This record gives sequence, structure tokens and C-alpha cells, in this order.
Amino acid sequence: MEDRIGQALKALRDADSGVDTGADAEVRAVLAFRRQQRRRGLRRAAIPLAIAAASLITIASWQATRAIPRHLTAVQEPNAREVLTPFYPLMQSSPPFERGLLMRITVPASTMRRVGLPVADDHLADQVQADVLVGQDDLARAIRFVTYTK
Amino acid sequence: MSGLEPIAIELQLVKRLLKGDEEAFAALYRAHSGPICRFALQMTGRMDIAEDVTQETFLALAIHGKRYDPARGSVLAFLYGIARNLVLKRFGKERPENASPLLEEIGGDDDVLEDLTRRESIEEVRRAVLSLPQAYREAVVLCELGEATYEAAAWVLGCPVGTVRSRLSRARAMLAKKLMAGSLVL
Repeated sequence: MEDRIGQALKALRDADSGVDTGADAEVRAVLAFRRQQRRRGLRRAAIPLAIAAASLITIASWQATRAIPRHLTAVQEPNAREVLTPFYPLMQSSPPFERGLLMRITVPASTMRRVGLPVADDHLADQVQADVLVGQDDLARAIRFVTYTK
Repeated sequence: MSGLEPIAIELQLVKRLLKGDEEAFAALYRAHSGPICRFALQMTGRMDIAEDVTQETFLALAIHGKRYDPARGSVLAFLYGIARNLVLKRFGKERPENASPLLEEIGGDDDVLEDLTRRESIEEVRRAVLSLPQAYREAVVLCELGEATYEAAAWVLGCPVGTVRSRLSRARAMLAKKLMAGSLVL
């Protein structure tokens, strides 16, 4: 019976060996990491701001020293021109889009294949840049990919 | 970095992560999301919870990674510890015994009946593991189904290696009893 338990557990281990969260979950995780870092950055900035506000006392001086969230910028090579694909939806059905944020992130090229774009097998692990449209509910709604030409 | 040991490379990634490096986050996620997702799935029986736990685990690493001590074990073992705490928090709300069954697509090939029988057997094993008391379930999931050594499991569970071994032995006995009742075919 000991052998059969070992075999049974091995069968379950083998059956689950391919289980992973997938490329779209990785995109969501990276976006969540960005939000976390932005919140932490704002919190860290809030301490000196509070000290400055206390020392300056006036509301005007407090407003002048308020932290402004860092704006995300695309990474561009010199003399390169950006070429964008159309947006591809990431959700089958989603609540109406009211407002959102466009975030530039780096994703594995395998993500392109997930939306139907051709990617050679030996390039699936390559890194590509993408713009992800995040809705008011913090869900990634659509993605477009960025390439550069000289 | 090519001349460094894997554990030193991972330590560098963790240090970069703590400084907010997104590439380090993605690299660590890619390297370890699979084992962490499987751990959470096998502990809870729920893929939706497993995905949440996986993301929360890596976000927690970005905050608490300074507690990671490479002398005590690998980054994966540290991540297992975070994931375990998150899973245990979830258990307060959702017991794995109440988990809905996993839905899988059944292939349409010639061996569909054999395939179906095998899948049912595997799901029977999964249910048996899920029904184990938590202390025994996590030992089985870490050491038998996961990639943890006994030493790593002892670190994750906060107990001596001997306790891990005895829990595994007891867990196997409990699994044998449960699976014998179900006339397991594998």
C-alpha cells in the first residue's frame, strides 16, 4: 500500500506539474506591484511632507510641497520610432469602462501569442514592452504591444 | 552575475526588488510562481484562491523580503512560508473541505474513458489530500507534491525535521486509509 500511496501522490504531482498562473496573471501581478510601489512611495514622501507642513504651518506651503505621483514613461532607444499594435481585449466580458490608466510594462513575448499575434517558438521568452489599459476597477482591460524601428 | 551561485543571484534579485525594481519582481515571479501556485492549489483545492495567494505572496516579498536570510534556505522556501501564512489566513473564511471541485476539460481522443478514469483517480487523491488535517496536509504538499526538502519544510513550518518526517509518515497512513475505502485505480 505504501507503494500505491507513493504512486498516487506522484500521479497528482505529475497532473499538477503544468499548473501556473499564466502570462496574464503575471501582467496583473506586475501592475499590482506598481500600485504597491506607488503607494509606498507616496507614504514615504508623506513623512517629510508632514514635517515640512508642520514647520511652515501655512496650508499654502503644505500644498507646495505635496508629493506628485511619478509619471510612467516609455523606455525608448535613441533615434528609434515607436510602432504600436492595436489594443487586444484581455477580458471576455467586463463592466463598462469609465476611467482608467495606461501603464507601460515589460512582458514575455508569449503574451503576444495569447492574443493571437505570431511569435516564433525560440522568441517566446523574449521581453517586449506593452501598454496595459487598467480600468476603474483595477482590472487589466486591454493590451497593446510596442516595437521600435529606426 | 553569471559567476554567482543561484542562491546569490536570487539574493541580488530580492535586494533589487526591495528597492522597487520591477524587472527583479518579474524575474522572481517567473521563477517561482509555478511552485507557489501549485502549493496554494493543493492546500485549498481552489485555483481562484491559488492565483490570489500567488500574487499576494510576491507582493509580500516586495515588502518583507528584508527578512529573507539565505543562510536559512532558498527564496522558494521563504516564499512557501509567506504563501502558507496567506493560505492559513484564508482558511478562517473558506475551509478547503467546502471547496468546489476543479473543472477540467476532457479530451476527445480515443482513450477518453481511460483518460477520464485516470482523472477521476487523480481527483480522488486530491480530495484525500485536501481532507487531511492542516499540519499533515502542508507536510504532504510541501515534500511529496512540492519541491521542498525536509529541511526547507521544517523552516517553512517552524518545526524540527523529525516532526516533518513523522507528520509525513502519519499523513501517508491517513491517505492509505482514505484511498483504500475508495478503491483507487491509477
